Amino acid sequence: MRYRVRHTTTYAYSNPVSVCHNELHLCPRQCRRQTCSFHELLLFPEAPVVSRSVDYFGNPVTFFTLQEPHRALTMTANSIVEVAPFEAPPLAASAAWEDVRDGLREDRSAEGLEAYQFVFDSPYVAATAELLAYAASSFTPRRPLLEAVWDLTERIHAEFTYDPGATAVNTPLSDVLRHRRGVCQDFAHLQIGCLRALGLAVRYVSGYLVTQSSGPNPLIGAEASHAWLSVFCPGPGWVDVDPTNNLWPSDRHVTVAIGRDYGDVSPIKGVFLGGGDHTMEVAVDVTPVPSWDDA
Amino acid sequence: MAHHVMIRKTVARGGLFAGYSAPHKSYDETFAEGGEPRPHWQKVVQTLEDMGPRELAHCWQQARRMIHENGVTYNVYGDAKGMERPWELDPVPWVIGPAEWARLEAALAQRARLLNAVLADVYGPQRLLAEGLLPPELVFAHPGFLRPCHGLAVPNDCHLHVYAADLARTPDGQWWVLADRAQSPAGSGYALENRQVLSSILPEVLRDCQVQRLASYFAALRQTLHDAALRHRDNPRTVLLTPGPYNETYFEHAYLARYLGYTLVEGGDLTVRDERVYLKTLTGLEPVDVILRRLDDAFCDPLELNQASLLGTAGLVQAVRAGNVSVVNTLGSGWLESAALMPFLPALCRRLLDEELALPSAPTWWCGNTDSLAYVLDHLEDLVLLPMHSGAGRDMLRGARLSRGERRELGDKVRARPYEYVAQQHLSLSSLPVWNGAGVQPRQTVLRTYAVASGDTYQVMSGGLTRVSASDGPPAISMQSDSGSKDTWVLCEGEPDTLTLPPAGQAIALRRSGYDFPSRAADNLFWIGRHSERAEGLARLLRSLLIRLNDESGLKSSTAFPVLFRALQAWGFGHLTAPAEQPDDLTARAQALLAVLFDPQSAHSVRAILGTLHRVAASVRDYMTLESWRIITHLDEDFNASGSEHGLGQVSDALALIDRTIMMLSAFSGLMEENMIRGPEWHFLDLGRRLERAAHTTGLLRSTLVDADDREGSVLEALLEIGDSSITYRSRYLTALQCVPALDLLLTDDSNPRAVVYQLVRLADHVERLPRDRNMPSLSPAQRRVLAMLTRLRLAEVEVLCRIGRNGRRGRLETALAELQADFSGLSDTITHHYLSHAELTRHLALTGG
Repeated sequence: MRYRVRHTTTYAYSNPVSVCHNELHLCPRQCRRQTCSFHELLLFPEAPVVSRSVDYFGNPVTFFTLQEPHRALTMTANSIVEVAPFEAPPLAASAAWEDVRDGLREDRSAEGLEAYQFVFDSPYVAATAELLAYAASSFTPRRPLLEAVWDLTERIHAEFTYDPGATAVNTPLSDVLRHRRGVCQDFAHLQIGCLRALGLAVRYVSGYLVTQSSGPNPLIGAEASHAWLSVFCPGPGWVDVDPTNNLWPSDRHVTVAIGRDYGDVSPIKGVFLGGGDHTMEVAVDVTPVPSWDDA
Repeated sequence: MAHHVMIRKTVARGGLFAGYSAPHKSYDETFAEGGEPRPHWQKVVQTLEDMGPRELAHCWQQARRMIHENGVTYNVYGDAKGMERPWELDPVPWVIGPAEWARLEAALAQRARLLNAVLADVYGPQRLLAEGLLPPELVFAHPGFLRPCHGLAVPNDCHLHVYAADLARTPDGQWWVLADRAQSPAGSGYALENRQVLSSILPEVLRDCQVQRLASYFAALRQTLHDAALRHRDNPRTVLLTPGPYNETYFEHAYLARYLGYTLVEGGDLTVRDERVYLKTLTGLEPVDVILRRLDDAFCDPLELNQASLLGTAGLVQAVRAGNVSVVNTLGSGWLESAALMPFLPALCRRLLDEELALPSAPTWWCGNTDSLAYVLDHLEDLVLLPMHSGAGRDMLRGARLSRGERRELGDKVRARPYEYVAQQHLSLSSLPVWNGAGVQPRQTVLRTYAVASGDTYQVMSGGLTRVSASDGPPAISMQSDSGSKDTWVLCEGEPDTLTLPPAGQAIALRRSGYDFPSRAADNLFWIGRHSERAEGLARLLRSLLIRLNDESGLKSSTAFPVLFRALQAWGFGHLTAPAEQPDDLTARAQALLAVLFDPQSAHSVRAILGTLHRVAASVRDYMTLESWRIITHLDEDFNASGSEHGLGQVSDALALIDRTIMMLSAFSGLMEENMIRGPEWHFLDLGRRLERAAHTTGLLRSTLVDADDREGSVLEALLEIGDSSITYRSRYLTALQCVPALDLLLTDDSNPRAVVYQLVRLADHVERLPRDRNMPSLSPAQRRVLAMLTRLRLAEVEVLCRIGRNGRRGRLETALAELQADFSGLSDTITHHYLSHAELTRHLALTGG
């Protein structure tokens, strides 16, 4: 499927901001099943210097600084992305999860090392005994990895309530686990924590979700950015899974960036001087486009 | 391993070292097994013995005085009294012979080259991981591995510019590296200070023993920093970045900045524009080419690194990435300090340098290795455990000090995540004689040595910072502890070089202005002026009130009291109950006044103002003379000592304290007036003082003279007393107290340094000299304002102002003074806005969720 993505963020400040430094993860990265054929970033006010580079995890990243006083800042990212569908491999055919875990520790190949870095704690996700205990019933001895991952995904989907009011960006995972509420980001972090506690390699994926509001199964997460995770499975490689919607992402999930957790890939990071109070508005619009409407 | 201090064979010696003996089974640096001094120590031992205990005691006293007077201090975090702890220096040096030093020097340079190569790989291709020479956990699971710094441009392939190692010797005579320091090694400034103190108390000894000098190390450091510049290569601007005055080694930051000739800056003094780093100075933004950081790397950029950091500069990493600024040591170098690296260094050295590692690390086990884990779990009792991400010497757990239960718990934790733990063998360290005031005693010792990149190798400082334990135990390796220090003497074969900094042969160009003056320093000096003047003004008003608490009958206060009390209320103490409501309760009134003096809860009390003054002054110590610093410290201490003992105390004690305070504050302003160069530092300090004095004098006149009173003689008397103008008044008008002449003296007489108009004259002079765009033909906003105020006040007729209206009020005076008050506050805003406005808070944008 081919999509046009428009992601607009507006900040408004009660006092003028004199200087503002920003780091953006808004340009969809290239992946195995995804190509981004067009991307532009529109800034208002315009920035004198805009730098693009690639971060440690291979995501496109943009830096810019506004150094004239301003009371509002609007960033619009327009992209055209093509995503190929994905069919989950036969779950029972994947390797036993213990073998995957042990293999990661020994593997010094480029692919192995690349995966292994996602086994460890990261700033937003610390694997704890509680998370391990929660995961345990899905990860019975010698169970095929993807089957166990799917079981855990279904449990999170069934046992947790989607509730945008329940958490904030900095809500600790222990609270999410205790109250069984949160948003896509919390569920992604939760499942990442569970899998890392078992010694598996898991990435956080930030992106967009295409909703078909007229369809029979409206999906959650379209109004702003969406988040899910990706688990390393020898053979198929990285396999995405979305605990918020209880599915294996296919061509209705657009990937923007991958990292260890939200902190590595948050769409907008900014540091500013002055400004007083500020408000933020985000609008995300993902529309399917036929391939001839490419210009 | 426990230490049993046992006497070993003591050779009968006279004098100083009589009875000195090293602990059993340890290596004594000074005396060999047989009790005779080791060959390279003979001269020093002989000289010290010739001096004898009395002369050494004298020298020691002298050294302590110098340290105190030079303000050499060491801060301890989280301890209010720990700020400004004096540096401990022992007069007996550690002497190291030339042959031994040559071996250490080569080994240290090798280790620095090795660590540089490891750092380059980890922040680059990471081949060592693929080759199995470095376990990936050491990188991936280490919070100090800063991913945004991966692949950053590094000039001259130099990732590790400054390196330090903590060295120690075990009973078999073997040297070991206890810890590697690669973040921003501390202590080289203290080493330099130790040398300067010792060379002034023992100049002959130092010369006779042919001790190598330290200056060439600092010259190499300067050269390396110069070479690190990517822009302005002929004359790069280098700054020393400090976390600020609350950092434990702030003294050293200021000391080194001055010695090396760099501007000392805090993160807030720097700003990034167009991906370049600039220093915010009074005259505008000045480009910065090299940053010598004493701030841990993770705190250097709140945008890309630790978001919680208030100490860094947003956008710094991107400026480095863009190749516009060099940071020394490279951002990310702190990762090298992990003790977990140590077991892998021998193999890494063979692979990267094709050499054998010359100097072993203290025996270390990384628990991520299965065999090491088994060994560590079996020997917990004999080992020191620390987290993988900590450097040696930090966050240590000594197995021997844990109970059996605690050890079991620790074992479980290690088993759960073995890769997060490192264990080190506890070594028995060599001893040195330490002077205790009467004689010498053996103490365990660690040597911190320094190396700086120079060409394709490293230059090692010929000396270092020796640290000795405070008691029988081993010295703490980290700087933050009670241990004492020693100068380290490396002897040379021939004549020591005579290099000094700046190079002696080179003529220095004359200049009449200092280096870059950061706006932050200007801001702080401005507030020092304001706070010191405010404390004095308030103290004077309180003194007059306390004196008038009782009238002659002793039953009620004088007639001026309620009027002065109103002035106090207008001064930000509106919550105090007016005396009219409690006419005869003298005790309550006294308590209210003492609260204004002492109350630690109130932000306005004299005590609180002096506390703030001390804090602000601490952050610009490099601009203050030692004497003025001592006054400020003393004032703060005096108040804390007087206020806390028995509640608010007695009125008489309070009066004595106020007298002392006023005297000290006068001494402070006198020192500043006499000793400060008339540069921007002086202008901002005096601007603050004049503004404050003008504002509070105007306020005082307004709250006391607007409501006319036929008994106002006593009020005028008090006003002249507060304004320190009674003598002048009496000499001019004898004793008749009237409003017009009194007001003239305090408001419009420009020969009286206490009059409001006098402050304006000084203010006009200061704003005239502040930096501004000389291309602009018109006056600056501040100049315009001061000129308007000065003109209006000069044209004012005091007789007219003093006329009393039908309502019994001096309406014109009221208008004139209210206008002045508003103008002074406007002027303060103009100045802060124009010159000091960047003192804004750094914030993060709200985060988006999904």
